[in-house]
Amino acid sequence: MRRTACERKQTVKRILVFWRDIRHLLVLLVLIVAACAGFVFTRSRLIPRSFGQRSQYRADALDEIAAKPSVWYADGVCLKCHVDVQQERAESLHKAVGCIHCHGLGRKHVAGALKAAESPDFHIEPAQKWDGNFLTQIDLYVTKDRTICLVCHEAKVGMPEDFKKINVAQHLEEMGAEAPNSQETCLECHGGHNTAP
Amino acid sequence: MTPTADDARRACNPAHGTCESDENSSRRRFLQKVTTFTIGTLSLTVLPGFSGDEAGGVSSKGAGRDALSADQVPLFGFLVDTEKCIGSGKCLLACRVENNVPEGFHRTWVERYVHLKDGTVQVDLVPESGYAGSNLPTIDPDTVERAYFVPKLCNHCADAPCNQVCPVHASFTSPEGVELVDPERCIGCAYCVQACPYGVRFINPDTGTADKCTWCYHRIKRGESPACVEACPVGARLFGRIDDPQSEISKRIAEIGTDVLKEHLGTHPKTRYVGISGEVT
Repeated sequence: MRRTACERKQTVKRILVFWRDIRHLLVLLVLIVAACAGFVFTRSRLIPRSFGQRSQYRADALDEIAAKPSVWYADGVCLKCHVDVQQERAESLHKAVGCIHCHGLGRKHVAGALKAAESPDFHIEPAQKWDGNFLTQIDLYVTKDRTICLVCHEAKVGMPEDFKKINVAQHLEEMGAEAPNSQETCLECHGGHNTAP
Repeated sequence: MTPTADDARRACNPAHGTCESDENSSRRRFLQKVTTFTIGTLSLTVLPGFSGDEAGGVSSKGAGRDALSADQVPLFGFLVDTEKCIGSGKCLLACRVENNVPEGFHRTWVERYVHLKDGTVQVDLVPESGYAGSNLPTIDPDTVERAYFVPKLCNHCADAPCNQVCPVHASFTSPEGVELVDPERCIGCAYCVQACPYGVRFINPDTGTADKCTWCYHRIKRGESPACVEACPVGARLFGRIDDPQSEISKRIAEIGTDVLKEHLGTHPKTRYVGISGEVT
């Protein structure tokens, strides 16, 4: 009897000691699990969803940047309607010069033209006079101002040898221009869309 | 038989660790386990998913250049021909309009290098609406030995320093090899602005984030040319696929000698230049 009581006592003691140690470990385990869960949760909130899908960046940014509208039109947009100009320009030296350079961005004009194609009553605003500023707010303009030509062709240091360079005063004098101060002098001889030498 | 002191010690020893031989072996086992666990955890970080540097095989390793299939992500390049540029400033205007660049900042600009006969070099910037009517002092052509225009834009380096310094991964290389900024991630610390050896980045005052040339990513994704390429009246700017040997740009690069800016920095730019000498940086 005495022996079994002692053994029982010993077993109880062993269990108590075991439990005491296990309890520490359990507390530690709970803390670790809580810390891990907290880390995973915080991380998921801080990192954008598409981050890392392709590489170390937010993959959605690609589509967002690519979604921006194009502002600067290629000539094809204009020439779809202005077929006559296309024919005029077929032999021109200025084939590579964009419509926008001499006529403005034409954003409203193109939007209006697309609308007019659907409802013929739609009134397309006519082109205005150029205000002499290349960064102008005027949507569409028609001008014979020689600044338009000289922005490229005025002779200056640094231009390639084979590019057509003009020293305006000298050129007009050589050609015997009637009104050398006129702003429209270039187009009189060289033409507009069908520019010839 | 009553339990001896020896028995009790044997029973309690593993917990209390009073026996010397037991203590030693458990410490060894503990160290063994810790070492195994540490090595195991560290080896996780070298798994492909963790180091993932995909970026469309951007050519630093030369991968993906040989095999070109129709559905392959294109790899773009840009060629600037300084022998053609006339300094009209049309590209500057196009870029500002297309990308809504605030006044006073530039995603692209054109420098004029003037080598004077007295041995000095003068560099100035082409005004946005051209030299005509800009009231800039003219240079007497008789004093000039040679002069040329150098359009500048982002070099879209294959090993871009700006990407490496970004602390929030807002600067990145697109699968097409285009260096982009994610405006949503960018915190505007301007670290990349300092890191770029070519000075192509700036902090956009409107958005407060880093801004730079994107080769008009929104346009090229639709198959259009970048606005500056579209605007250039003399074809001094050429854009296209450099992974396609049949493209115009690839043919030109193969035909003529081209250079990159600051080659010694090892950034491997994808914007290449025709007709520049070492003094252009």
